[in-house]
Amino acid sequence: MITKFMTEVTAKFNPFSTCAKPARLFLTFLPPNVRANGTTVHTSLLPRNSPESSSLKVKFKDGKEMDFNCSKTNIKSLIEEVDRHSRQLQKAADLSE
Amino acid sequence: MTRILSRAARPCLRRLSLEATPVRGAFALGSHNFSTSEAQHASPGLRSVPEGVPLPIDVVPATKPPSARPIDTRKSQLIRTYTSLLRTTPLILFFQHSNLTAVEWAAVRRELKKALEGVAPIVPAPGAEPVDLSPLVQLQVLRTNMLNVALKLVEFYNPEVAAASKATKRTTKGPIVHDLSEAAYEQVKNVEIPPNSAYAQIEPLMVGPLAGLIIPAVSPAHVAAALSVLAPVPGKFPAPSRKKNPGYYDPTFQNGLAKLVLIGGRIEGKVFDQAGVQWVGGIEGGLDGLRAQLVAILQGAGLGITSTLEGGSRSLWLALEGRKGQLEEEAKGESKGEEPASA
Repeated sequence: MITKFMTEVTAKFNPFSTCAKPARLFLTFLPPNVRANGTTVHTSLLPRNSPESSSLKVKFKDGKEMDFNCSKTNIKSLIEEVDRHSRQLQKAADLSE
Repeated sequence: MTRILSRAARPCLRRLSLEATPVRGAFALGSHNFSTSEAQHASPGLRSVPEGVPLPIDVVPATKPPSARPIDTRKSQLIRTYTSLLRTTPLILFFQHSNLTAVEWAAVRRELKKALEGVAPIVPAPGAEPVDLSPLVQLQVLRTNMLNVALKLVEFYNPEVAAASKATKRTTKGPIVHDLSEAAYEQVKNVEIPPNSAYAQIEPLMVGPLAGLIIPAVSPAHVAAALSVLAPVPGKFPAPSRKKNPGYYDPTFQNGLAKLVLIGGRIEGKVFDQAGVQWVGGIEGGLDGLRAQLVAILQGAGLGITSTLEGGSRSLWLALEGRKGQLEEEAKGESKGEEPASA
């Protein structure tokens, strides 16, 4: 996963519901030095009985914000979606060099 | 590093050397015609078994030699470890760890150790020697899928049922009903998980990389100390101050801490979420504190009952006393009324 262009990742999940899986796995896909490289990561836990489904927000350097509802996606499509935009940014960065 | 490896491999080598003899025997039996071993070398016990008779089930087939993997990371060993852990340990807190580096793990464990050192030893029973739990508390990375299987085994596998069943394989020493047996596998595979069971509750937690904080007794003081380091809550479980513990504000540790998320706990077989774990950590004075609270409640109830029960008799007594006074007064009045008549 390309994390170079992310400025903020906000994950919100209720670990006791099955829809927490994509959000939790997304956090594990971030490399160990992601915080040192200028991405802020916020993790917040919902209480056990909350009906709210898990969500993930990703902000990019160009200002684009992506908001995912984790009950409808799986981790594969999450990463695909995020990477699609990152690749565009990568391309623009390569051309401007 | 090589020393560690060789130490890890030693039990395997020992096992291989132990099993060398039966393996050769089985091989000699299996490929009868192509055997290179001479008649006097092949073991006579196996030779005498006529063809078509099933082999004893504890024979190691030649095509499936024992694993060469280090013994403590084999799946079978992990399941054994985890089932025994789950059966014996009353308190495990689960953390998600997302890509902590080795240095960060070391920093986290160092801070945890420092925080636990300050906790007073617990007294397991009144009059017993106090036990210092702090060196026994461990923060361990767990293999999620193996733990999942172990949780199922612990909750749904009943060796007695398996031992009574006719389908269970038997040796001369009795039925094979240990946690890795085929009977256990079949029983756990076929079980229908009831939605209110502890496993059904904890199952969604078993996702991604997991670490367990293992505390060998239910000691709220230790939980509180661990929470103040690993999942601090301002006000309730405050992190140590910068002056008191500068190591806590070390960037390595803070980086590691940001990647550890407390997701739940298993306390005495019950499943708790973050708030539940904090409640357990917040019990004042540990189990004794809880007992004291219970005693206070019961005493309060006793007082209430005695005053209510007393109340009835007291009011009866008051009524009777009042009536008595009334009667006495009436009697006095009558005698007063009579006196002038008699006089």
